[in-house]
Amino acid sequence: MNAIEIRNLTKNYGKHRGVTNLTLTVEEGDIYGYLGPNGAGKSTTIRSMLGLTHFQQGEIKVLGMDVKTRTEEILREVGYMPSEAQFYPSMKVKEVIRYAARMRGMDCEDEAEKLCERLKVDREKKVEELSLGNRKKVSIVCAMQHKPRLFIFDEPTSGLDPLMQAEFFKLILEYNKEGTTCFLSSHVLPEIRKYCRHAAIIREGELIRTDTVENLTRTNAKNIRMIRDGVEEHFVYRGNLNDLFRDLAQHNIEDIVIEEPELEDIFMHFYEKED
Amino acid sequence: MNLYRQEMKMNFKSFLIWVLCVGGMCFGCILLYGSVESSLADMGDLFSQMGAMSAAFGMDRLSIGTLSGYYATEIAMIHSLGGAMFAAMLGSNLLSKEEFGHTVEFLAVLPISRRRIVCEKYLALLSYLVAFQVLCTISYIGGFAIMGDEIEMGHMVTLALTQQLLLVEVGTICFCISAFFGKNMMGAGLGVALLFFTVDLMCRIVPAIENLKYITPFYYCNATDIFTETEVSAGIFGIGIGITVLALGLAHWQFSRKDFGA
Repeated sequence: MNAIEIRNLTKNYGKHRGVTNLTLTVEEGDIYGYLGPNGAGKSTTIRSMLGLTHFQQGEIKVLGMDVKTRTEEILREVGYMPSEAQFYPSMKVKEVIRYAARMRGMDCEDEAEKLCERLKVDREKKVEELSLGNRKKVSIVCAMQHKPRLFIFDEPTSGLDPLMQAEFFKLILEYNKEGTTCFLSSHVLPEIRKYCRHAAIIREGELIRTDTVENLTRTNAKNIRMIRDGVEEHFVYRGNLNDLFRDLAQHNIEDIVIEEPELEDIFMHFYEKED
Repeated sequence: MNLYRQEMKMNFKSFLIWVLCVGGMCFGCILLYGSVESSLADMGDLFSQMGAMSAAFGMDRLSIGTLSGYYATEIAMIHSLGGAMFAAMLGSNLLSKEEFGHTVEFLAVLPISRRRIVCEKYLALLSYLVAFQVLCTISYIGGFAIMGDEIEMGHMVTLALTQQLLLVEVGTICFCISAFFGKNMMGAGLGVALLFFTVDLMCRIVPAIENLKYITPFYYCNATDIFTETEVSAGIFGIGIGITVLALGLAHWQFSRKDFGA
């Protein structure tokens, strides 16, 4: 069964583009990365999946349920973490966590305690005293404590320190082992490569590629640094290497390094506008 | 009813402050009457001859030289205005605070329908408005008892009920405003309350705009009218109730169709 099925999704905010004719499928049990530059439509897609925004065209099914007619049932099975985690400032962390559980009609005390311990969340603090990173951690607890079937995270690691990022992905892998599907949007390419099995790339509201992360990162491109005719150069070469060598032979090459490109370099052409 | 409980908890301090300020001030004014009674009696005649202004405040029909007259022309008006401002302040942020506080992405992804969010928040608004009116009215009746003055209980109950309707109407209109805007609407809410109050005064002074009495809820809860048993058209109440129902329906409609986090 598919955890997420989006068909021909179109959402505009008045004259402003959101997403256009977007089709995407995430299989149950997958860890799926959703990549794209700022304003590409990642958050719009996610908000449409959760019923936070009403889309003009298309169909979205989450865990087999239509988002337009069965929103509440979907939200019962989903753990969502927004990119900007905000709570009621006057509440204590433990009150926020308990409130989120009660609204689901559940007692998640044990799981919440475990998560707070792993993420080093101080439950006695007031929300207004929390930094962005600590608010994110509370948001993770709220999204995970009810052991949902599907996680949806919008840029989850921004604001988290590297240790907490590692702990967060460790938790995702543990829940995923128990069958939870994970859909996350991110700018951080190495974490997508490290943890996701599939990924989609969105640009200017349109999905431009979906594939396994392995295929997306497989490339014959080379990162080249050299000093040619006294000039230092750095570029990514995607053509035939023999052609490159033939061209180089006509110049005075003082130094050259040919290496695998950085992940950012591989993805950059997906992000850049086509002329 | 978790959301209802949460709203009640979050707004308790504000409720307490307003009840103490408005109710306490009016209660204090009743108790102070004894010390200003003689000077008010002297001024009663003067105030009743100020033409249109006397009519606007009802001092042409009731003398502020008696406690009930003083209560109807001064204190009840302070209560109505203070209560309307409390209702406006509370109602104007109940829905919009989720958007401008960026908590809507926390609340709206919990498995609770938008209709329930509107209902439970509105129920919290109603609960506080009823509690406000009941506590204040009890304290005023207590004030009369302390002063040893008898009050016509029928008038007092009628006034309390009409003031309750005023609070609910103003609160619901502001609740509706808060559904339409994702900003802090407290200023607009207080503006609505003050506007209705001013319209009530104006339409009592200027005959040409008398028909504005149909749109201001302050008109039907005028204590002088109630204490002198001046008949108020049932249509005015009907319009008030109609506006309230319409505002609540609009609030629900708008909140249900809104895009969050955009």
